[in-house]
Amino acid sequence: MADTLSADFVVVGSGIIGSLAARKLALAGASVIILEAGPRVTRAELVARFRNSTRRSDWMSPYPPAPWAPHPVYQPESNNYLMQAGPYPYAAEYIRQVGGTTWHWAAHAWRNVPNDFRIKSLYDVGVDWPMTYADLEPFYQEAEEIMGVSGADNTGSPRTKPFPMEPVAEPHAMRRLRERLAPDYEVVTNTTARNSRSYDGRPACCGNNSCQPICPIDAQYHGGLSADAAQAAGAKLIANANVYKLEHDEKGNITAALYYDPDKVSHRVTGKTFIVAANGIESPRLLLLSTSGKFPNGLANSSDMVGRNLMDHPSTSLTFDADEEVWLGRGPQSPSSINFMRDGPFRSEHSPYRLDFTNISRVDGATRSLIAAGVYGSELVKRLRYSAAHEMNVKNVLEVLPDPERRITLSSEKDAMGIPKPEAHYSIDDYTRKGHERSQQDFRRIAELMGGTNLRFSKEGEFANNQHICGTLSMGDNPKASVCDQWGRTYDHENLFLAGTAVLPTSSTCNSTENGLAVALRSAAHILEQQGASTGVTGEAKS
Amino acid sequence: MTPLSEQVDAPNLVRRGLLAGFVCAYTASLIPWALAQEAADADQGAFLALSAILAGRQSLDAAQAARLYAALVAEDPGFPASAKALLDTIEQRKIDPMQLQKILDTEKSPLSALPRRIVTAWYMGIVGDGAKARCLAFETALNAEAVADVLKPPTYAYGAYGSWTRKPV
Repeated sequence: MADTLSADFVVVGSGIIGSLAARKLALAGASVIILEAGPRVTRAELVARFRNSTRRSDWMSPYPPAPWAPHPVYQPESNNYLMQAGPYPYAAEYIRQVGGTTWHWAAHAWRNVPNDFRIKSLYDVGVDWPMTYADLEPFYQEAEEIMGVSGADNTGSPRTKPFPMEPVAEPHAMRRLRERLAPDYEVVTNTTARNSRSYDGRPACCGNNSCQPICPIDAQYHGGLSADAAQAAGAKLIANANVYKLEHDEKGNITAALYYDPDKVSHRVTGKTFIVAANGIESPRLLLLSTSGKFPNGLANSSDMVGRNLMDHPSTSLTFDADEEVWLGRGPQSPSSINFMRDGPFRSEHSPYRLDFTNISRVDGATRSLIAAGVYGSELVKRLRYSAAHEMNVKNVLEVLPDPERRITLSSEKDAMGIPKPEAHYSIDDYTRKGHERSQQDFRRIAELMGGTNLRFSKEGEFANNQHICGTLSMGDNPKASVCDQWGRTYDHENLFLAGTAVLPTSSTCNSTENGLAVALRSAAHILEQQGASTGVTGEAKS
Repeated sequence: MTPLSEQVDAPNLVRRGLLAGFVCAYTASLIPWALAQEAADADQGAFLALSAILAGRQSLDAAQAARLYAALVAEDPGFPASAKALLDTIEQRKIDPMQLQKILDTEKSPLSALPRRIVTAWYMGIVGDGAKARCLAFETALNAEAVADVLKPPTYAYGAYGSWTRKPV
């Protein structure tokens, strides 16, 4: 097959960030090709897969990996795609399909708080970002207007313009938390990419309570919509195009992306500028795979920082039975949280955190527990209703500091396409553990204020992962300690840019998507400005 | 939900017998509707009686029962005999459903896995384990029906925007 595909911009990865960066460039008149490793899947297919799933609590169950573009799954058994080097397992989940991982998310669209950008200066931990909150603020707004973000003002992140939408209506259970915790804690409505009214042709939430694994009505924004928008803006999206190598010329400029189709036929796509936006694991993997005589350690890796500083948000949690009926499962899955521990001088000593309340229906989980306990007969119905009505859960969302020893490398094992698998080297350090320990007093007090009984703390020493993969292509000011500059441009290759949550220098306490998206929109605006193009979009932020 | 007794046009009606024929006085006391409910044959009758006892339900949907039964048999050809043996055990020893699992586990009974299989089928709609598991029901699984007055199964709309702000019950 004679491939002559070429474009001004070649974007690797069609997730929310790659697609919306591509859209911005295409709207400015550039030709753009997006290469996506995974297949196209429709919302209706995903809803049907969920309803027919034998593992409804496994949010990945509607997203089985394509053999030609695997992603990690752990149930019913691990596919051993993401190899584990330890010492602590990093059970990352992400989705390789058109639209990427935000097909299933809680749609939290938090901004950092301003001090998150300066934790080295203020608290002598981690690193400072190569930009300030003020630098990023217009692009947060741009991201929020594209996604349709609803939220409340009392969350610690100042704004120059109002939220596109008012907060989503508060479920009764969250109202009771807010009222009963009021003496000690301010419970706020989450900032989410979820419609509280019709927005951009999509309806308001109607409480399907399946945000993860799939919003059946698109009341929640997701990367599939981003991919659609990129194509509507003129970008060409090629699915099932698993990019395995980037090529360069003698100056080190990137010249082509090579991809395998599902039959492992190789194709070549050339371009003037390349943007790698394939997520926090696949992006560093691709750079590490792209070795050459000139770059024996892979691309953009003169600092040896590619894949390093892997971060996420570990969580521990408390489940308890409230003394009143709250019936979680009415309304969106993740509506409310407590934000007071996101910042403060304590950050010199331990991890900051948010406290997140779930509103996920307890019915399936309670059923499994009761069956496991051998509860049958009329008692089963009685206890099931009790648990469904009374059970509540709070978890912490802990910051992980950048540490070069936490990293993604290439495994000696290969995937079904013969490409080396990614390997995770991960740990939970004392900084994060101390944050967990500090949060236990909040857990207990919250349970107490809710009249909680039957307290079930998550197992000591075990941290659940929140799948906010970031840091592996960190941006910074120092070419020896980071992979790219504040615009996402790699130090080693003038026409190679990085986008996605991988470029975030620290993880802070908020879900990484909005941060990664705002940074990418800022990069795209900069690229267009450098190339003398107008952004072409009225009302969208300019650098 | 349509009780078996209303399935008058079911093709195999002639082979059906009254469930009362398959249970004794003790188990009939656990499932008071047993006199009325019909079953296709003795094997399925034992499954129905056992299901009613374990599920704690006064009625069970006939079509769903047939689907679950077929799946359980497909998973384990010995299922009909095991179900009959477990029903006999419950009847002969007058075992309370809440004590059943403990007794089977303590005695290391070969039937100890059976109650969980049956209850998982009815309440989760799932038959089988791991990669071989099958989903037979979701919105009609009994755990969804048990809370249907308050909750909708995930992916089904709760109601108009904001309807969830009201007190649930």
